[in-house]
Amino acid sequence: MLLLIAARSLWQHKLRSSLLGAAIASVTALLLVLTGISVAMRETILRAATTLMTGHVNVGGFFKVTAGQSAPVVTSYGKVMELAKREVPELDYAVVRGRGWAKLISDTGSMMVGVGGVDIDEEPGFREAVMVPEGRLDELRRPGTILIFREQAKKLGVKVGDTLTVSAPTFRGVNNTVDVTVVAIAADLGLLSSFNTFMPSDTLRALYQLKEDSTGVIQLYLRDREAVPKVESRLREVLARGGFQVMGADPRPFWEKFESVNREAWTGQRLDVTNWEDETAFVKFSVTLVTALSVAVTVVLLIIICVGIMNVMWISIRERTREIGTLRAIGMQRRTVLAMFVGEGALLGLAGTGFGAALGLLAAAAIDAARIPVPLGVQFFLMTDHLTVSPTPFWVAFAVCFITGAITLVSLFPSFLAARMKPITAIHHVG
Amino acid sequence: MPPIVSIVDVVKEYRLGKVVVPALQGVSLEVHPGEFISVAGPSGSGKTTLLNLIGCVDTATRGQVSVGGNDTGKLSERQLTSLRLDTIGFIFQSFNLVSVLTVYQNVELPLLLARRLDSAERRGRVNGLLEQVGIASHERHRPSELSGGQRQRVAVARALVTEPKLVLADEPTANLDSATGQNIIDLMKEMNRRKGTTFIFSTHDPKVMEHANAVIRLSDGRIAGRDLPRGPAEARA
Ligand SMILES: Nc1ncnc2c1ncn2[C@@H]1O[C@H](COP(=O)(O)OP(=O)(O)OP(=O)(O)O)[C@@H](O)[C@H]1O
Ligand SMILES: [Mg+2]
Repeated sequence: MLLLIAARSLWQHKLRSSLLGAAIASVTALLLVLTGISVAMRETILRAATTLMTGHVNVGGFFKVTAGQSAPVVTSYGKVMELAKREVPELDYAVVRGRGWAKLISDTGSMMVGVGGVDIDEEPGFREAVMVPEGRLDELRRPGTILIFREQAKKLGVKVGDTLTVSAPTFRGVNNTVDVTVVAIAADLGLLSSFNTFMPSDTLRALYQLKEDSTGVIQLYLRDREAVPKVESRLREVLARGGFQVMGADPRPFWEKFESVNREAWTGQRLDVTNWEDETAFVKFSVTLVTALSVAVTVVLLIIICVGIMNVMWISIRERTREIGTLRAIGMQRRTVLAMFVGEGALLGLAGTGFGAALGLLAAAAIDAARIPVPLGVQFFLMTDHLTVSPTPFWVAFAVCFITGAITLVSLFPSFLAARMKPITAIHHVG
Repeated sequence: MPPIVSIVDVVKEYRLGKVVVPALQGVSLEVHPGEFISVAGPSGSGKTTLLNLIGCVDTATRGQVSVGGNDTGKLSERQLTSLRLDTIGFIFQSFNLVSVLTVYQNVELPLLLARRLDSAERRGRVNGLLEQVGIASHERHRPSELSGGQRQRVAVARALVTEPKLVLADEPTANLDSATGQNIIDLMKEMNRRKGTTFIFSTHDPKVMEHANAVIRLSDGRIAGRDLPRGPAEARA
């Protein structure tokens, strides 16, 4: 009956309720879409990053000829691979990548980039993560070729078929160069792509003058991502027992570690076991930024809505003061009056958020289907060239509960005052 | 039989800023179960104030008000509300029905608040009363779709549905034409006779007073007299 009164009262002021309900619905939908974008970002990062630049778990490392000169190299990686295959039953597949940090030089410009050495035929997943609108990915099979991303191509002023010079210090301390042909220009992946290029492994080895049995990193892909922490610590143990020098856990991408590694006194080979989160730590802030931004926008809107709700509750209570007085006189307890008005707020909130959730899911589907292109500046953060929204059950539930909760909470105050009125003053209230 | 209402030396003052308006100045009164009492007096004499005190919707400045044997000054707000729900029925001058509920739901509401009957018992009780007040055919209507007289019938049914010992009605006929007003008073009288419910109602209308067992005359916040109504003898029966 209480709910009936609440519902009918809302219904009696259809326009007011529906305006407010629509506002609540929009905020809910907005929250869903915005959080959906940040979830989609995370997924993109995960998917793209875990093919482009990291496995779920990686065994990389540094080789130092002298204390101050390190190269991101794993020598005689065969034994490491063997160990991993034996000791990690969770393993789905493993790939071997060369790692480098080199200068790309064109006729008109130059830039520092990371260079991954890939054997394109060994990595079917690579094709799915990298879209190549210009040139052909297959050509990366040929030695002396390179894949760069669109923005890099623009900065360097090169097209498919042009030649670039790649220059890097070998770990003996001399600069070496190779000339490579641009065979593929891939669609940008924001932060993920801006520091990355890919060459055939052998070409990268040639650049660094490495032996055939050296590589940069062994990327392990697991069947279940949840197993990462377990596998990571087990690998550290097993490798150490197998006679390797293993570095302590350090949640940074490998190219941020050169300086600290160079300061350490050791020489020779050390292995570094990392996970995908470590290697993509530098993009984390942009996910955090988008999430924080979404939440901030929603909170501001929510505050506005809450003020609106408060006002409407005030009006509603003023209009119904006599009714409240009557109900109190015929024996309705204060807490029941309170419950009735709070129920009204909650009902409005629930209806609004429910509708908003549906709207948000529809909007998300529509945005996905429309493949809306993202402006360049924003691409950098979103790490995709078109907008994707992945609303998750968690965020749907969160939006509905949180917003309904907030609305119920603000309706509490006016309702409390309504319940506290003396029945006699309420009954004789005019208006 | 102990009185259902007992008032001893009650003073009620309203405070309007610095001005103190005395509404009741030492009123003592006893009402016994089954009485059908009218409170009369000129405008501003304190009729509404008196009924509000008896109805436990307002508190006396001084003095003692007992309803159904409870000293209302000693009860908490919650207990007062329960007392109103269980022992007192209200009929208001301007009907005061809940506009968003149907006639049936308005009458059922006090039973839901009391939570003593199951739904079948409630249905029986509500339907019976709607029959008795002659509004059963309108049970699905909203109050706004009814005439004043019909609304007051619904209000009477609502006041009686919990079978209270005492029903208070502040000028129940003032917003009705005289024939309809007569009708409502007849209805109240009938309920009084049938169920033995005590009624206290205020009125300006001498015709309405005629139906009472006793008339309490108020003047300037004091009881000027308690007498039998003047008028046709058969009305006193
Ligand atoms: N809420 C209030 N604040 C201040 N004074 C009040 C209030 N209610 C009543 N009074 C005063 O108390 C006195 C008694 O008022 P009350 O309403 O009880 O009279 P009444 O007999 O019911 O009059 P009426 O026949 O006009 O309804 C009047 O002088 C009135 O002005
Ligand atoms: Mg009055």
